[in-house]
Amino acid sequence: MPSKSKAKARRGAESPIKPFYWLLGIIGLAGVGLIAFTVLKGGQAASEPVELPPEAVKNLNDLVQTAKGVKKGPDNAPVRLLIFSDFSCPACMNFTTRIEPSLRKDFIDTGKIQFVYYDFPLGGPGEHKWGFLAARAARCAGDQDKYWEYHDTLFGRQSDWMFERATPTKKLTDYAVTVGVDAGAFKSCLNSDKYADVVTANKELGNQLGVGATPTLYMNQRQVAEWGDYQLLKARIERELGIPATTSAQ
Amino acid sequence: MIEELETEAVRLDEIQPGAAAPWNRMAVAFCSLIGSLIALYLLAYKIRLLGSIACGTGGCETVQASPWADFLGIPVPAWGLGGYLTIMALALAGLEPRFVDSRPLAIALLALSTYAFGFSMYLTAIEAFRLHAWCRWCVGSAIVATLIFVFSLWEIPRIREKHFANQA
Repeated sequence: MPSKSKAKARRGAESPIKPFYWLLGIIGLAGVGLIAFTVLKGGQAASEPVELPPEAVKNLNDLVQTAKGVKKGPDNAPVRLLIFSDFSCPACMNFTTRIEPSLRKDFIDTGKIQFVYYDFPLGGPGEHKWGFLAARAARCAGDQDKYWEYHDTLFGRQSDWMFERATPTKKLTDYAVTVGVDAGAFKSCLNSDKYADVVTANKELGNQLGVGATPTLYMNQRQVAEWGDYQLLKARIERELGIPATTSAQ
Repeated sequence: MIEELETEAVRLDEIQPGAAAPWNRMAVAFCSLIGSLIALYLLAYKIRLLGSIACGTGGCETVQASPWADFLGIPVPAWGLGGYLTIMALALAGLEPRFVDSRPLAIALLALSTYAFGFSMYLTAIEAFRLHAWCRWCVGSAIVATLIFVFSLWEIPRIREKHFANQA
């Protein structure tokens, strides 16, 4: 029976491999399943607001006063959107360059919301080490009413300065000059300890609110998880403003 | 009857190489699968299927948002996923009896794994010397690429043997 023995030989030849194929299949399916589960779980979490701790809400106004957040938009706006951000954070850069322009056009410039920027320099010896200095630099530019211009430049040119090994004072000063800030006054501010206490207070405020990552946004005392998608964020703001949901599919 | 047995013996000889599946290719296939899963996770992260990339979470935000996160306009994890899947396909094909002794397959496997290892080292150097930031998943992928390269070195004797056999 040659065909039977041939088949037997073939089975014998394949037997060491088959369990291996099964092992690969099981690991592959389990891995893809785990990633799919994480994706679905993450999608649900992103749409749910997070309630702030009661003690944080109680003290929020005091903390806000101390930290001196930088405001954009009218004080009497019906909604306040607070952001805790780090100039050396790529995610914050993405928010500033991709989301913020639409946010400004649709809500801030029209007086519907007041946007308040708080520094939350992540610090550490790694990629976020110049975040604190940059936060101070922005405040120094703010002394000459150029905070937001400088803010945009810092984020826009983030990869040029955040990976510097030595203190990027020169680059920070050059950016200040490009937005029309007087270099002498800026340098003297940057080279002092000015605003170190304010930026530290910002970080403390964030810590007390439970900020663990940047950017973290709060709207009317609730954390906003939808900051990565403008359409979701817009819908959330419109809900807060009492505007009927639009079915815009831009 | 004897003739039939002899024919069968010849066929068994043909099958024999497949019976001893090259262990290094099994290892390469296994590592490639792990690498593919890491690349898939990083790709999902990069295209924001895993939520927004926030800083300070211990994730890979700095690396993923850096100018080196894309290569020729395509996210690096997508290149990684494609590369790992190709290497896995080659390694699995190399386990089939008819391809065990295939010189072109051995060369392709060695060449691709060497390229993957080199590219992985380049990305690791970017993390170390340009970004000063480490992404643990990227480091995991670099380790996997290194293992694949090491296991692929066992293809060299196959390539050489076949080369000399062809010359003879």
